[in-house]
Amino acid sequence: MKRFRNPPAAQEIERRLLLIAASFVFLLALALTLSPAARERSWDTDYRLSQWAGFGLWLLVFGATHIFIRRRLPDADPYLLPLAALLTGWGLMTIWRLEIWFGVRQALWLTVSGGILILGLWLPSELRFLRRYKYILLTGGLLLTALTLVFGTNPLGNGPRLWLGCCGLYFQPSEPLKLLLVAYLAAYMAGRMPLSRRLLPILAPTAFVTGLALLLLLVQRDLGTASIFLFLYTVILYVASGRKRLLGISLAGVLVTGLAGYFLFDVVRLRVDAWINPWLDPTGRSYQIVQSLLAIANGGIGGRGPGLGSPGLVPVSISDFAFAAIAEETGLVGTLGLLTALGFLLCRGMCIALRASDRFRRLLAVGLTSYLGVQAILIIGGNLRLLPLTGVTLPFVSYGGSSMLTSFLALLLLLLISSQPEDEPAPLPRLQPYLLIAGLLGLGLLSAGLINGYWAVVRGPDLLTRTDNARRSISDIYVYRGALLDRSGSPITLTIGRPGDYQRAYLYPDLSPISGYTHPVYGQAGLEASLDRYLRGVQGNPASRIWWDHLLYGQPPPGLDVRLSIDLVLQERADTMLGNHRGAIVMLNAQTGEILVMASHPTYDPALLDDQAMALHQDNSAPLVNRAVQGQYPVGAALLPFQHATGANLPLSEVDEITLYSTLGFYDSPVLRLQVTAPSLPGEDLRLSPLQMALAAAALSSDGIRPAPRLAMAVRTPQQGWVILPALSEPVQALQAENSEATAQQFLVGGEPFWQWTAMAPLDGEKVTWSLAGTFSAWQGTPLAVVVLLEEPNPGLATHLAQALLEATLQPR
Amino acid sequence: MSGPAFLVLRVLLTVSLYVFLGWAFFMLWQDIHQQGTLLSLRKVPPLSLLIQREAMPPQIRHFTQAEITIGRDPTCECPIKDDTVSARHARLNYHHGQWWLEDLGSTNGTDLNSERMTTPTVVISHDEIACGKATLTVMLAGDVLLPPTQKMPKLEKKK
Repeated sequence: MKRFRNPPAAQEIERRLLLIAASFVFLLALALTLSPAARERSWDTDYRLSQWAGFGLWLLVFGATHIFIRRRLPDADPYLLPLAALLTGWGLMTIWRLEIWFGVRQALWLTVSGGILILGLWLPSELRFLRRYKYILLTGGLLLTALTLVFGTNPLGNGPRLWLGCCGLYFQPSEPLKLLLVAYLAAYMAGRMPLSRRLLPILAPTAFVTGLALLLLLVQRDLGTASIFLFLYTVILYVASGRKRLLGISLAGVLVTGLAGYFLFDVVRLRVDAWINPWLDPTGRSYQIVQSLLAIANGGIGGRGPGLGSPGLVPVSISDFAFAAIAEETGLVGTLGLLTALGFLLCRGMCIALRASDRFRRLLAVGLTSYLGVQAILIIGGNLRLLPLTGVTLPFVSYGGSSMLTSFLALLLLLLISSQPEDEPAPLPRLQPYLLIAGLLGLGLLSAGLINGYWAVVRGPDLLTRTDNARRSISDIYVYRGALLDRSGSPITLTIGRPGDYQRAYLYPDLSPISGYTHPVYGQAGLEASLDRYLRGVQGNPASRIWWDHLLYGQPPPGLDVRLSIDLVLQERADTMLGNHRGAIVMLNAQTGEILVMASHPTYDPALLDDQAMALHQDNSAPLVNRAVQGQYPVGAALLPFQHATGANLPLSEVDEITLYSTLGFYDSPVLRLQVTAPSLPGEDLRLSPLQMALAAAALSSDGIRPAPRLAMAVRTPQQGWVILPALSEPVQALQAENSEATAQQFLVGGEPFWQWTAMAPLDGEKVTWSLAGTFSAWQGTPLAVVVLLEEPNPGLATHLAQALLEATLQPR
Repeated sequence: MSGPAFLVLRVLLTVSLYVFLGWAFFMLWQDIHQQGTLLSLRKVPPLSLLIQREAMPPQIRHFTQAEITIGRDPTCECPIKDDTVSARHARLNYHHGQWWLEDLGSTNGTDLNSERMTTPTVVISHDEIACGKATLTVMLAGDVLLPPTQKMPKLEKKK
């Protein structure tokens, strides 16, 4: 005889599983306590402690329930209670972490529900009263629900008015109505056995009652509950009759009502549109679903850790989006465990149904299991964009007193049904409906798991870079963002404060059209945007470090400082001289292409964005635009020096002109770590940005070679110190060396070591003034080129600005 | 240091979740294993048939399997070479703690204690089965039956 170990008795299984569930919830509470330390990366912090009260209450409720169940129903299923305990504890901690006061209320509801469960253990396990008073119970439930049409309120203020209550105590009658409907249908079907061959006599009374309930819910716009009703009705009818045709009829009914709802109700259309294409309106109608997907993506595989995610960013994360909150903090690993636990619960429910000793209790158990299953799948699917979003709760997990109570009542009934030690199971005419329902529910959970993996792993990295992912600006508060420094190391923009309180300080606001800003609401601009990966630390740091910090904190490592080629002394001089004139100045090293000065006026102060953003956007003088690289100005006669430098006879033929302009790079955007506007095309009216003009002017000052522009010079990495950022393009021999020298000589300013040319060009009835200048080739010092552009006819000022700037650079004090 | 310490905590948390699920599945598996073992240990009470035919000496055959087909066909568990017996004439079946007799649509029909069989019927010791002109007397061995229930006895109650 083969030896085998006796499995533990039911009591022992339940006790041990409850102990493991308790250690899980204990660890969860402990993790929440320590999470501030991990977030601020220091042990010296304010620890979260309040959730321990919730843990204590949870322990008390389930401990007591366990003892009473074993005393009263020793043969009841030992898996149901631990599973419910696990889900409830998980949900309670999640709610507590999101909103302490809702956590407290949930804990109180848990106590009430647990108490009712314990009292309910003394109900007779045949549940005859449910059969006998089915009409009274259901009518009572319907009346209560109907009352919400008149007296309905919403505890959150606005939204569907589905609750009854006052004085801070609210109750949603449509929640227990689901149980009453299941009990009614099970009792009715069990009383009509064997069912007659024709469907009509069975359908008529139940369809009337169910239709009444559906109508009520439709009037209330409680569409989630309405679809659950329809599903439960179909399931019980199908299981009782075994007619597959019913499934088809029901499916057609759902499609028809769905289509009708789509065209009749705004709510339905809104939800369905947001489901089919959420990316069209991510800040408006599909805000919730997009934020939910972002939370799930942020969770990834391992999750950010309890208390370390930002699930609060998803609206109503405590009830409708509890699953997304759990997905963010425990990741795919956690949600797969959650789905498995739910699947286990449904499995036990179906087993209890099959073992039930009469038809009523069997149908009741199937109905209750389907209720728990379909509601979980509906809301999880909604969170994952697997199904359109419906505002139902996740049983046991989500916040909501009525939902908690209803889940506990379902648990109670299942426990009672499972506790029939000596009775034989009732005969089972057809197994197929049970297998089909169980299969459908299992399939729902499985697809939820798969789609969860898709969002978290496949699409995750992509989603997280979206600008409406507020987690980026949250990590800016906790993680140092690199500074922008000028060529001698003086800070232009830097981060001040300590972890948890980092702020961006803009020390030189006049440069802001170039250096840009980073703002939680308005996003990023200028160098802050184009150098974001270095400043944020996700580029330039070792990959292992980035991975480790993401794993530990869900944040990038401290950002890297970037040194620019800008010379703040010269920049300040240029900004002072340009003053209130609209225009731009670019001065660069003609040989290396390092940009020493880049001014664009008018400017703005990024520190005042909070108040002025709208005004800045609508300002006609476009202070947000970097005129030096994004401005496109007509050239007029400004190109005369370059035409001279071709050595050909003037005026140039059109073909020669296009050849010249393309070698000077006028048809290409300068490649720079800045956002640059698209260049003019050959043949159309030529327009140039000051930077393009400056690069061409540099060719005249450096033997005809047009340098590659450089703005970001080096980045300070933790390992290797300053690492040079190479230029993004190559220098080009744009003009012949002797021709360019001859041209420089021709435009030489008397008594000065540089050439200059000033010209005006018409623009929309106004005129712009260009002034180009540069050292000539024989100059022994640093070769320089400067371009001044004024959005006004003012050759005198333009000439003066260019000269003054060159002189200041060539003869430093 | 808080980060790595917290990571350890997160790993423990996940482990406890899966320990819960794993243990629940293990318990379920043990339950199935136990039920399966008990079912496999459950003995079919041996059944003997005293076979009497015209002009032949009586013959006793012993059976331990749960299904016995009676018929002329040699593949039957209890073959009877008699022209009045159909190829697959009747079947004895053990389930629900009883031996059941069932006619398999035979040409000459099956009689139980001289009454024509129409539905499967429970047989006990000394029942006489008539298949055509052959008579089979049922003899059940001893009282080794388990109580007639599908539910397995709870082991803890035996302690």
